[in-house]
Amino acid sequence: MTLTLTLNSKPPGRVLAAALSPERLCGLNASAVAGVELRCGGETVALGDLFDVSGAGVEEDAMVLAGDLSRFDGIGAGMSRGVIEVRGDVGAWSGAEMSGGVLRIFGNAGARLGAAYPGARVGMTGGEIVVSGDAGEEAGAGMRRGLVAVGGRTGNGAGLRMLAGTVIALSGIGEEAGLGNRRGSLVSGRAARPLPSYAFATRFRPPGLRLQLLRVRELGLSVRDGLLDGSWARWSGDVTELGRGEMLIFNEEEGPL
Amino acid sequence: MSAYTLGVTDVADTFAEAFPMRFARLVITAVSEAWAHEAARSATGFATSVIGCKCEAAIERALSPDETPDGRPGIAVLLFAMDREGVGKRIVERVGQCVMTCPTTACFDGLPGAERTVALGATLRHFGDRFQASKVIAGRRFWRIPVMEGEFLVSDSAGVGQGVGGGNLVIGAGSDESALAAARAAAQAMRGEGIALPFPGGIVRSGSKVGALTSKSMPASTNHQMAPTLRAQVTDSLVPEGVGAMFEIVIDGVSEEAVREAMRRGLHTAAAAGATHVTAANFGGKLGEFHFPLDGLRDPP
Repeated sequence: MTLTLTLNSKPPGRVLAAALSPERLCGLNASAVAGVELRCGGETVALGDLFDVSGAGVEEDAMVLAGDLSRFDGIGAGMSRGVIEVRGDVGAWSGAEMSGGVLRIFGNAGARLGAAYPGARVGMTGGEIVVSGDAGEEAGAGMRRGLVAVGGRTGNGAGLRMLAGTVIALSGIGEEAGLGNRRGSLVSGRAARPLPSYAFATRFRPPGLRLQLLRVRELGLSVRDGLLDGSWARWSGDVTELGRGEMLIFNEEEGPL
Repeated sequence: MSAYTLGVTDVADTFAEAFPMRFARLVITAVSEAWAHEAARSATGFATSVIGCKCEAAIERALSPDETPDGRPGIAVLLFAMDREGVGKRIVERVGQCVMTCPTTACFDGLPGAERTVALGATLRHFGDRFQASKVIAGRRFWRIPVMEGEFLVSDSAGVGQGVGGGNLVIGAGSDESALAAARAAAQAMRGEGIALPFPGGIVRSGSKVGALTSKSMPASTNHQMAPTLRAQVTDSLVPEGVGAMFEIVIDGVSEEAVREAMRRGLHTAAAAGATHVTAANFGGKLGEFHFPLDGLRDPP
């Protein structure tokens, strides 16, 4: 059985939840897991006061979090391996600066999903984050490597100052995506308006994106066949930076290639 | 000397002798199986024998879209060379010249998780003149090389496995037509997962011996012992009475077991298809690490 933490009471304030990761908790017995302390507002609370714990002690590098975790910030932040599956909404900074592993969120994510912390140049350096719902502002900010895929929409400023890596928003990417993008890929499954610092190149079928979308599907998001087989507009940018980044935009109204 | 018979077929009391080789499996996908096939045929061309071509390669099998990394129709290709470096050089040449150039293709490592690898996209990416980009997808790196059609996607590296090269069967019958028909049926039965038959149609009509009687510099020359026209001219002919033509099928496989089972399929199919004699080529047993006695293939597959 997988280590499963089920939220049983709403925390009184915002909780710093970076400790909720398999590398920290897997292999611990139930009382040790319940005894892990979390910062909640100005106080400290024991994990066991907020969650029912089951499946503790298993060495498997995976865990499940269940419940409305929208007050929990930094779930999976800094993780380097293993799998976290969240069944519910999560707060801000989920998967921030993660370097490996898989974070699957079946719900919505708050701001700065997989992003760099304030002052840091580099955010995520590896791993995969998938979100079935929407994500907040500045998803994938500062990303160097890895994948952030959102089944819904991303908020404004996705891929802010990203160095490389991929941010996919299947239902559309928000405004001002890719500001300061150097080599990263921003992918919008619906029509989107790129920044003026992006220039239209062509429409084509990107073979690498097809592979990534198949991977996203494998990770549990629903990806329409049309996105796999259709053509995508490629916009290059951000020309105010290196200009080797891209925005790939799917627009079915434009018809087949 | 005949060890046993299968119907009308005399099976010789001998063995095939084979060698350890290194191999890579490439999965070539394209918009249609026809285009994947074009690339695969081109990439496995001029790859019949390591002696003359530096590698041996053939199409392994067609792959349905649900068997390929990008969900498109594909062809799996096996390429064998004597060492890992040889495999590395040959796949870069062949993927660069024959797969990257072919419309709509992508090229993937067909041995993911192999312990030893060689650079593939990691070398070919330089064709991109620094316009190339890489993506790590599910823990594996791929290169996107911009080309006139769009982009060529290729795995960063390819796994290298330890295989067996040079397994063989020699199939003879009274006439060239009947010998070829039997050999062709055998080759068709032998193809499959883990098997490459590198010669045209899987069949070689100019089997060779090591060295030459008349030259010290020739690495190989005609197998005069199995040439029917020389039967009355040489003293050591191995062409049996009543045999008018002989064809050899050379088998490279991903394992000793794969080669043995392919030989078993080939032997029994050739017998059913009218071969009167089946034998095998060897070098006296001193050169090759792997021996495949025909006597061990008596049971049908």
